[in-house]
Amino acid sequence: MRWVTLLLALVLAAGTFFVPVLDAPGVETDVGVSPPPIAVCPVEEGSGRNTNLSVLSTVDGPVGLTLFTAGESAGSLASATGASGSLVIPVVDVAAVGTVGGLVEMPNAISAAGSVVQGAASMSAEACASVPEAQAFITGGSTAGEATFELHLMNPYAGEAVVELIVESEAGTESNSRFEAVIVPPRSSTFVDFNDLTPGRESLSVSIETIKGRVNAIGRLGIHGDTGVWRALPGAIDWFIPVPKGSASKELIIATPANTEIDYQVDLFTPSGAEEAFATGRLTERGQHVIDLGEVTEEAIGVRVVSTGPVVPVLRWSSPDIGVAITTGVVVEANRWFLPGASTLEGGWATIIMLNAGIEDSTVSIRPLRENTSVRSFEVSSESVLAIGIEEADGYLVESTNPVVVLWTAQRAGSTSAAIGVPILDG
Amino acid sequence: MTDAPAPLTAETQSVEAPNDAPRVKVLLTLVEGSDFDAAVATVSRQVYDPVPDLVIVGKAESVPDGAEVAVTLEEAIAAADQSTDYLWILHSDARPRPDALSALVEEVERADAALGGSKLLVAGSHDVLESIGSATDVFGEPYTGLDEDEIDLQQYDVVREVSFVSSASMLVRRDLAQGLGGLDEKVPPVAAGLDFSQRARLAGGRVISVPSSEVYHQGRCGGKSRKWREQAGRLRAMVTAYSPLTLLWVLPYDFLVALVDSLVSLLFLRWRPGARHLMSWGWNTLNIPSTFGRRRRFKKVRVLGDEELFRFQARGSVRLRVIGSELSNRMLSIFDEDQALAKRSRRIWGSPGIWGAVLAVFILGFSMRSIIFSGLPNVAGSFPFEAGSVALERWFAGWNESGLGSPDAVHPSVGLTGLASILWFGAEGAARTVLTLAFGLLAVVGMGRFAGRLGLRGPGRYLAGLVVIAGPGTAVLAGSGSWTSLAAASVLPWAVRAAFVHESEKDRSHLSRFGWVILIGLTLASLSPVLILVPVVVVLAWKVWGGQGSRLVLALSGLLGTAVALQFFYSDVGWLLEADRRIGLSVDDLWPVLLVVGFLPLVLLEGTARRIGSLGVLLGLAGLLLVRIPGMGPGIEEASLILASFGAAMVVAAGLDRLTGRPKHLMSIVAAGAILFFSIGSLADGRLGLPSGDLSERLGFSVSLAHEHGPGRTLLASTQRSDVPGEARSGPGYWYRVVDGTGMTHDEVWLPSPRDGDEALDEALRLISTGSELRPGEVLAPFAIDWVVLFGPEFRLDEVLVAQFDLVPTPLDPDSRVFENPQAVALADAGADSAWQRSASGFSGDLGSGRVALALNHSDGWSPQPGPVGWQASVSAAEGVASFRGDSYSVAMAWVAVAVALLGLILVIVGRARR
Repeated sequence: MRWVTLLLALVLAAGTFFVPVLDAPGVETDVGVSPPPIAVCPVEEGSGRNTNLSVLSTVDGPVGLTLFTAGESAGSLASATGASGSLVIPVVDVAAVGTVGGLVEMPNAISAAGSVVQGAASMSAEACASVPEAQAFITGGSTAGEATFELHLMNPYAGEAVVELIVESEAGTESNSRFEAVIVPPRSSTFVDFNDLTPGRESLSVSIETIKGRVNAIGRLGIHGDTGVWRALPGAIDWFIPVPKGSASKELIIATPANTEIDYQVDLFTPSGAEEAFATGRLTERGQHVIDLGEVTEEAIGVRVVSTGPVVPVLRWSSPDIGVAITTGVVVEANRWFLPGASTLEGGWATIIMLNAGIEDSTVSIRPLRENTSVRSFEVSSESVLAIGIEEADGYLVESTNPVVVLWTAQRAGSTSAAIGVPILDG
Repeated sequence: MTDAPAPLTAETQSVEAPNDAPRVKVLLTLVEGSDFDAAVATVSRQVYDPVPDLVIVGKAESVPDGAEVAVTLEEAIAAADQSTDYLWILHSDARPRPDALSALVEEVERADAALGGSKLLVAGSHDVLESIGSATDVFGEPYTGLDEDEIDLQQYDVVREVSFVSSASMLVRRDLAQGLGGLDEKVPPVAAGLDFSQRARLAGGRVISVPSSEVYHQGRCGGKSRKWREQAGRLRAMVTAYSPLTLLWVLPYDFLVALVDSLVSLLFLRWRPGARHLMSWGWNTLNIPSTFGRRRRFKKVRVLGDEELFRFQARGSVRLRVIGSELSNRMLSIFDEDQALAKRSRRIWGSPGIWGAVLAVFILGFSMRSIIFSGLPNVAGSFPFEAGSVALERWFAGWNESGLGSPDAVHPSVGLTGLASILWFGAEGAARTVLTLAFGLLAVVGMGRFAGRLGLRGPGRYLAGLVVIAGPGTAVLAGSGSWTSLAAASVLPWAVRAAFVHESEKDRSHLSRFGWVILIGLTLASLSPVLILVPVVVVLAWKVWGGQGSRLVLALSGLLGTAVALQFFYSDVGWLLEADRRIGLSVDDLWPVLLVVGFLPLVLLEGTARRIGSLGVLLGLAGLLLVRIPGMGPGIEEASLILASFGAAMVVAAGLDRLTGRPKHLMSIVAAGAILFFSIGSLADGRLGLPSGDLSERLGFSVSLAHEHGPGRTLLASTQRSDVPGEARSGPGYWYRVVDGTGMTHDEVWLPSPRDGDEALDEALRLISTGSELRPGEVLAPFAIDWVVLFGPEFRLDEVLVAQFDLVPTPLDPDSRVFENPQAVALADAGADSAWQRSASGFSGDLGSGRVALALNHSDGWSPQPGPVGWQASVSAAEGVASFRGDSYSVAMAWVAVAVALLGLILVIVGRARR
């Protein structure tokens, strides 16, 4: 019996080696990510300024607006895009506020919102930001002369956000304790006034590193009595920016949030064709270069910036006659674009600039979003740019047979604005 | 001692007795069942001159010539005239030696005493001592100082003053007896003797024991039925004799002693002491008037204070001393089956197994130090017990509150913990700690006793108890926080042992044996239901191996214990069969090798050790193999792992049985020692291998920051399975579950089968996890989720919840991410800003005409007027109470378990009574 037992024991022991250990029960596969259809918009009211928020969508669906300040809602509105898929909300009709953040809840993921601020002698426009990234970068600021530069940090969420600002100027990295652990309370905005903290700087770039929570950051630059508004974005290595025509100073500012040297190349697209490597250069750590595009041509053009590391280019367009407009580039070409807020303004004019950086011509349809409108179609040659004047609308939907990049600009006496379009990527 | 009666004649008198000797009257008290004629004969044979007069006290059928008759002792004492110097009060069941009286008179005279008592020997024995005059404690509890069955070797033969002498044979001065009014007729003889002795002493007389006066006593005067009367008599004697000041403290003290005696006796399953105390106090209450009458009469002759009595009394309480002694003997006998300690043997440390037991208990104490000093951890599967009554209510087909609630049965251990809490006077925390410590001790003792019953005597059998709770399987189970597994492992050896009968116990009651098998089976099944099969398997295997002493019918009777888990199996069969609910534990590959290596030397041994080792290695390996078989749920996984440890423990017990230097033994010692060494490593943390931490404290904010309507629920989530306590559900990329906001309790460790609400919660979490939901608080609000707590590394929910509008991140716990949900509804929402509160396992609140929405899975068992609202339950607010009662099947199954438990209890009690 003892040997039988031993044999049985050996068989069982062998069994424990040959029968594999069962895998521990695991969790189900992660569900897909589906960002919420929201946009966070800068709102400026008072001092003769009014903000119109434009919401564009492919569907007739509900739209909600909540103006948040000091931890709570200062006013809200529930509406719908209607049959045109568009809606313009004058903020003044919602609540009497100052400079705050506005949270727009859009009908679906294929939607976009933009903010257009108009004053007696100023005008700015910018597409609203969606869910923010943990790291963002903004360049193009200045506090030299009469220029004013302010960073508006908006936190529409329930949790407090804490960010660290790394500010770079021509004087190097700026040191100030107020750049460290900047708290943005929930449902509130925090403003960083660089004229107080770093006065007299020609060029300012700010890297926004989120320590906790999430914030949307926009820059607000005041020159010549006008204001330009633009978003902070994460760095990338490939950018497109259409450039409007005009005689004013058109500066392409390329800056990097990286702590390493970055090589870049700027390709130029003019109505007459492309010029590859129009400009090249090497950015130092957190450095920036300014390329004056106004010297090249007064015509509408387009640029493509490619780099060996993360950079963010912005287009700053200013003169005493037209004020200032500033806008970021985009990292993708797309077949469909929303231009929220794009419209001819009373006493002024507006233009859509389309950049076709591809090697094939493209047929582009421009559809103003409002009641009873007609679609116009144009041919945009390969590696060229086309500027088209537009009429009054809630915004525009641009559709193209091949990927393009779209920007809209508006001018009025003494003021101008420019805003890059919002690509519809899953359309 | 059955001599025929003889008349009192001059021929029987001694010529040696002096004629001027004191005159004595013998008061022969009739004792029921005694041989009266023999008693008269022994009196007549007394060598004493002058011949004592004989008075028969009681109703005698025949009266010898020359004898007087008195109905009562008091009457007989009163009738004695002044010519009588002494009265010899003698029971008719006493058989004095012929010189007993003369010795009494001589010594009483010599000592100038008022009262003298004979040395009592047990009639029919070889001079076994019954009494040599007794000391008492302050309560009159006799303390003879004699060992059980102590033989008279004249070791106490010295005349001395004593507290009291027995009334079976006492010589008392006639004048004192008449002054004291004789013996108390209402109390039995011993108490009467005590009472009389005390009063005699306080009246100025000396009370002595006269060992040279030997009397054989048949003891018919002290039958079992009169024990309570003796107690009552002692109490009455105290009240009669003591001063008011003494009574002020002695009576409450006596009451406390009675209480302790009753309770401890109950622990030993003896109900009679309690009943006796009750009757004693009751009788004295009824006889207060006569007691006070006696007290008044005695006051007239009293000349001394209570101090005179205290001089001859033992300190403290004899009763408490006996209880303490019995307790310690019981404790020692747990380890010392040979009773070496109990018998004060000089071979204590040579007793087989005692060293192993001492070492095992020492290691065990070290392994439980953190539990003893800091309490049990509240993590994983180890959580505080719920209030006893609520836990029992849940077990008895009540509402299962785990998760979003369910009518499904709670885990059967909930009933056991409820019972423990109630038995521990409602102190759940203490009950949990004590129960855990007890389980540790039970494992060591149980394994020792089990192996002992199979025939092992060495130290290994107790050390093997450590392997039961820390062996290959239980170590990983305990490491995962499974408190019930630890407890089940410690009960398993007892359950298996109960199916074996030792040679020396064959004549013991079968009823008691079956009763214990059932009760232990119920306990085991309530902790780990599948383990109930192990005793049957072991018994069958033991029979195959040709072992003696196993009883299949006992093992099969143990299966009745499954009754306690019937409800649980009925409502959640997935616990046995759903592989995706497994705990997912794996045992190191080293263990099969260790087991085989541990067994190899045993193959060379002969007899019991080899047989036990064989069984152990096969059970252990079978357990390790079973846990790898797919298609089995957590119940079988848990049982398999415990079985592996039990098998390993048997190998250790066999391997360490003989500590000799013989090569075969040496090899088995080394191999078994290795298994033991690897096992106890997991106990080093001082928590019996349980993980550390206190989730209850970490989540305490859910109570302290609760809304007005009280704590709701807390949602816990993590990508690490071990971070989520108890059972968890699989979500999109993470594990999650909800727990009670008032703090997770033992009953919540197991999640019932998912119902509509659980599916709704799952969908809600999927939606939130996509990131498309900006108001997750609103989505979670209907589930009464007040808090969301994310553990472990950051994951999808962290990413999502950082960008949302209504869950407020709150830094309440440095090791987790906590979000408050201000939107959450009350668990019981009565509308109009009114919320009902928890009440036992239900809710209560203001009466109303509307309905109360309960954030629980709907079930028709809720009342009054249940009705579903989506997945939720709702009831009418008309009665101000919402309560739940399970379906009739569940109730019936609970009753079956109760009936089985009662059956087991009755069998044990009846069996003991018969023994």
